[in-house]
Amino acid sequence: MTVEKNIRFFSVAALYNKIKTMKIHNMTIKGVTMQRLMELLKKPWFLGSLVVVFVAVVLWNIPIEKRKYGLSQGSLVTDYTGLLPQRVERIVKAENRQDLQRIVKEANKDGQKISVAGLQHSQGGHTYYKDGVVLDMRTFNRILEIDEQQKTIRVEAGASWEDVQEAIQPHGLALKVTQSQSIFTIGGSLSVNAHGRDIRFGSMAETVKEMTLLTPSGEIKTITRDDPDDWMKYVFGGYGLFGVILDVTLELTENDIYTIHTEQLKTDQYETYFNELLTHRNTAMHYARVSVAPSTFLDEMVVVNYDYTEKQDHKTVLKKEQGVRLSKIALDVGRQGGALEDLFWGTQKLYIGSLDGKEITRNNVMRSESTFMEYTKPGRVEVLQEFFVPIHAYGDYINDLKQIIPSNDRSEDFKVHNITVRYAAKDEVTTLNYAKEDMLGLVVLIQHGLKEDEIANATTLIQNWTRLTLEHGGTYYLPYYRYQTKKQFRDSYPGWEEFVEEKLRKDPNSVFQNMFYEHYLK
Amino acid sequence: MNSKSVRYLPLVVTVGQVVIFPYYIIWLKQVSLTFTLFAWFFATFSFSAAWGYRIYQTKKNKEQSYVFIIYAGMGIVYVLIGLIKNSYEYLPYIVLPLQVTLGLLQGYFRAWHSEQDTYHLHAVHHYLIVGFMMIGFSFTRIISPVVFIAIFGLLLCLCGFWDFIRRGKLSEPKKV
Ligand SMILES: Cc1cc2nc3c(=O)[nH]c(=O)nc-3n(C[C@H](O)[C@H](O)[C@H](O)COP(=O)(O)OP(=O)(O)OC[C@H]3O[C@@H](n4cnc5c(N)ncnc54)[C@H](O)[C@@H]3O)c2cc1C
Repeated sequence: MTVEKNIRFFSVAALYNKIKTMKIHNMTIKGVTMQRLMELLKKPWFLGSLVVVFVAVVLWNIPIEKRKYGLSQGSLVTDYTGLLPQRVERIVKAENRQDLQRIVKEANKDGQKISVAGLQHSQGGHTYYKDGVVLDMRTFNRILEIDEQQKTIRVEAGASWEDVQEAIQPHGLALKVTQSQSIFTIGGSLSVNAHGRDIRFGSMAETVKEMTLLTPSGEIKTITRDDPDDWMKYVFGGYGLFGVILDVTLELTENDIYTIHTEQLKTDQYETYFNELLTHRNTAMHYARVSVAPSTFLDEMVVVNYDYTEKQDHKTVLKKEQGVRLSKIALDVGRQGGALEDLFWGTQKLYIGSLDGKEITRNNVMRSESTFMEYTKPGRVEVLQEFFVPIHAYGDYINDLKQIIPSNDRSEDFKVHNITVRYAAKDEVTTLNYAKEDMLGLVVLIQHGLKEDEIANATTLIQNWTRLTLEHGGTYYLPYYRYQTKKQFRDSYPGWEEFVEEKLRKDPNSVFQNMFYEHYLK
Repeated sequence: MNSKSVRYLPLVVTVGQVVIFPYYIIWLKQVSLTFTLFAWFFATFSFSAAWGYRIYQTKKNKEQSYVFIIYAGMGIVYVLIGLIKNSYEYLPYIVLPLQVTLGLLQGYFRAWHSEQDTYHLHAVHHYLIVGFMMIGFSFTRIISPVVFIAIFGLLLCLCGFWDFIRRGKLSEPKKV
């Protein structure tokens, strides 16, 4: 017993001593490390390196300044470009149907004017009206139902494509038609009948199975495709003038995996290339860029195709914005014009070429980056315009365009930074229809000054551009700033008279108003 | 310290720096897009100051400390700040190197100053003068912080110039 006790005592003591020695050892190690660190901190080269590393980290993390725009009760309301500031009477956060219905009914009695706002990426005062009430739909954004069998989603109209993608991605589903980014609301997108990279599913309006609408008289109606009153014809591409879209049921498709295929072309080859792509190739989505760099101005193009692989995806996560800073730096370089714009074009070609052969999901094709486009220089603005021409007119149109836009805009006030080409399928649904046949849309990123003469110069150039587009049987897109004349609007949209007549019939008290309507249609 | 007037220059510099500090903070807050960035700008300044401090401390030939260059350097940074347009999109990218330069120079200056015989005497004067000046400034309306910052910058440049002339004159006989 005693021996055993002694043994136990000794082993405990030995263990204790060991732990103690280890602790001392650890402390010595810690002490030595601390001492080394302190020594290091005294070395100017070490402190200098610390500064250099820290500065690099800060540089990389300087946030990109975002445009300041939006709904504000106290000051003036603006949309994306801030070009049309206006005072409104009230902003109502949309939360439930009954409240919205009450507001519309009251407006019919007291003459109040109502506008509808989504994420306000439209640029011509489409979402507000002087002294009016703005319904801010962003809070009306619930996902109501996903039917995996039928491949449909029912969702409130204030939800963004981002919200929808997050909800359907785990089910292996994807949208049929969206813009190339996911930063817009569904209501806002349908009200302009937006288009994007898809080349197989027709227009966005065609992907809606059903919609719940709060009509201008304050009724809540369920509208289907065979609706005898043709509400869809006026609400889609109706710029918020035919009531409030409350929710929609959208057709979905599989979240396919595509292989990216990229190519460089001459502009005069594109028409044939695209027709071939549309009829024969195994391509689901597509877009192209045209050079606006001086030495290859409107001569070179790069195309990006997303080809079917027969594979589908349930797992790949939705991509976040990537490489924003580098893209912003590259675009900023291009913004300088001249040789730097050539450099930017070269970089774009390299970058796009590097994507060749990679795989990507359908959902991820529909959510490209947008933050890198932010531009906040005081006294200047960057705007978008989009011109549509029939596919068969593309080659001649681009040739003639060279006479209108200077190839080197380095010392010009009006600068064209980017032209992206997309397909807009013939639309048989909407009244203000920009695609009476299959069209190619040229999305143009333009920068100009805000002085009176600079705006006048931009207006003249854009009107000339629109004139040329009309001469080639084309149209221009309406969500953007209204540089075009009233005549150009009417020539582009011969359905305007029918639109106005129906507006007066469906909204006899002219409850739904906005600055776009006032400018072009009143 | 051989010249009487040169003896007071560090006092002018330290007092000036403290007095200008609130204006500098206002400006820096304006140009930082977020609080995080604002804090990081300060961290950059501090790390650079530590670096500048050690550069002086480990310097071999302390007689030749070129303090006039430090005064002028700091002055130029403040004047530059006065010249920058506030609404410029790339401002944070410009502010960062300015913070490094300012930190480096201030760290170096402080290390140099603390080794001068007048340092402790200056410290007392410094606190008193700053106190009185801040009371004085509380009665002036801030038109724009950059105006004060630029004026202080000019004053520092003058200090640099004065230091250069006086020291130059005083050190001449030694060279002969
Ligand atoms: C950076 C950028 C990239 C773009 N890319 C593309 C693109 O790839 N393809 C494309 O086609 N377009 C593109 N656009 C244009 C964009 O699709 C439209 O501006 C679209 O309207 C934006 O949606 P939103 O939620 O911001 O709508 P908002 O600007 O808020 O509203 C647009 C219109 O819809 C109406 N509206 C909004 N919600 C409702 C509702 N619930 N009920 C009834 N009416 C409503 C508004 O009254 C307004 O008239 C782009 C715009 C920007 C700024």
